[in-house]
Amino acid sequence: MSWTMHGIGNEYMTRRVAIIGFGMTPFKARWPDKTYFELAYDACNEALQDAGITIKDVDSAVYGIYNDLFERQFMPDIYVNDYIGNIDKPGTRVTTGGATGGFTVRTGYAEVASGLADICLVLGVEKCNDCYDKQTGTTTPEVLKAIAYSADMTWEFPLGMLAASSYVVLVNAHFNKYGNPTEEQMAKVSIKNHGNAFNNPKAQAPMKLTIEDVLNSRIICYPFKMLDCCLYSEASAALILASEEKVKELKAENPVWITGVGAACTDAFIGNRKSIGALPSNIAAAKQAYKMAGLDYKNIKKELDVAELHDAFTGQEVISYEELGFVEYGKGGAWIDDGGPEMHGELPVNPSGGLIGCGHAVGATGIMSTGEAYLQLTERAGKRQVPITKGRAISHSIGGPGAAYSAVIVLER
Amino acid sequence: MTKEYHEIDDIIVIHYKYSFGGQSRFFIELKNNKQIMGTKCPKCKTVYCPPRIACAKCYETTEWIPLKDTGEIKVSTLVWYSTSAFIQNIPYAVGYIQLDGASTAINQGIFSDNLVPSKVKPGKRVRAVFKKEREGKITDFFFVPIDEYDDWIQKPEFEGGKNG
Repeated sequence: MSWTMHGIGNEYMTRRVAIIGFGMTPFKARWPDKTYFELAYDACNEALQDAGITIKDVDSAVYGIYNDLFERQFMPDIYVNDYIGNIDKPGTRVTTGGATGGFTVRTGYAEVASGLADICLVLGVEKCNDCYDKQTGTTTPEVLKAIAYSADMTWEFPLGMLAASSYVVLVNAHFNKYGNPTEEQMAKVSIKNHGNAFNNPKAQAPMKLTIEDVLNSRIICYPFKMLDCCLYSEASAALILASEEKVKELKAENPVWITGVGAACTDAFIGNRKSIGALPSNIAAAKQAYKMAGLDYKNIKKELDVAELHDAFTGQEVISYEELGFVEYGKGGAWIDDGGPEMHGELPVNPSGGLIGCGHAVGATGIMSTGEAYLQLTERAGKRQVPITKGRAISHSIGGPGAAYSAVIVLER
Repeated sequence: MTKEYHEIDDIIVIHYKYSFGGQSRFFIELKNNKQIMGTKCPKCKTVYCPPRIACAKCYETTEWIPLKDTGEIKVSTLVWYSTSAFIQNIPYAVGYIQLDGASTAINQGIFSDNLVPSKVKPGKRVRAVFKKEREGKITDFFFVPIDEYDDWIQKPEFEGGKNG
């Protein structure tokens, strides 16, 4: 068995872990003809085929499913495990809000790195639009209510907090300190990500937009407009992780190594934070992941070919440019003005369309983002393929009350 | 071919008799005395509001202290689209308010007779207004811009606190 010194500060003996397969369903507003476990089956099947294995070859599974109220089912993971036929083997659920996907990849990594599994299935799925608000005859207000139950039920939920309002206070506090992101700069992120989605056949929201379109779209939470926000999606995404020995044994054609994993949770109560306009969890997760991968936080932009960031809201993507080390604090707005994160810019951000363009099927999202980075590094991203010269990419997830969870994954081919 | 599916109406309801545990004193003082309480760590002197009965930094038991009902907006937003539980209330403002004497900020509604972003921007001074009919819940009070305070406490369903 090949064991390599590989870990934070090289303190731990861990095994190298590769992604050897990826599958995902299209991201759609609603899949009325599929349940959550049927969607999970489809993504699982595609990932198994991509890796050239069957469910019998899987030693363990990790399931990313955020919200029991969305699924209308507590412990939905056991029904996914049942439906995909992962019988008499461990399946474990991870649920960390919008960051569920990233934390699920992290847990899957640990299963293989530790030697608990040689092949691990990392499977994320979410429905949401079975939630239905009778008073408006639409789904979204009830979807938002199902999410709002993640806010503290004593101190925050009764006041009408919602996902957009918890992100927008971060963005507003950042704006108050640094004068950016401006509404125009946030609009540019929306234009970029909706535009990138045209090249992703599985994306929910390809749109050709102007700054005026975004600025004139319906106000949601000052200053976020509708086109600053991602849409809620239903989808599933799956990755197959394998040990180095299994990569050799299976003669895997496209292994991409997970070389860095970082995660952190900051104060869930925004009012307890030293600085409201920042997510220290983003910085901690990024520094942890880069250090593990042997990369320099201050020079990270030059080390990467592509980044898939968590753009649930445009303003948050801009702050993440800073917190993930692409630009100095306060310079995120200027970087989008300069075209840095555009497809042909200095470091393309969200060629998949991200959450805004591809969609946000919460438990599946971070797995989709990591899968997109995997497709890019194996040069199978079709029309949205970016040039791969450094052989390295990252995916990033944020979530939870006050966006308290953050995860960063570094991939290398 | 049209895809086939069958839908039903459904709902999940759970009833509770929920205890606020160690935080109960905040809600008892709020209901009975219109007094906003915080807790202070004897070691690091952090004053928590929302209160907590133990300090996360020092692992010391905190002490209850009364706070003033005036403070400053740290950050806020105006909400124009919301959950099904709140969509009938739009537009409304929520923000984080640091009460005078507290080290942390509490999430709360900010009410104004003229709800525009400039009324609820960071640095603005606010004061708590209490419902006359209080249940011992976070929604028993809200904040208003300090220059609107006298008008708000004249409204029949509201009243001022003791500690300004």
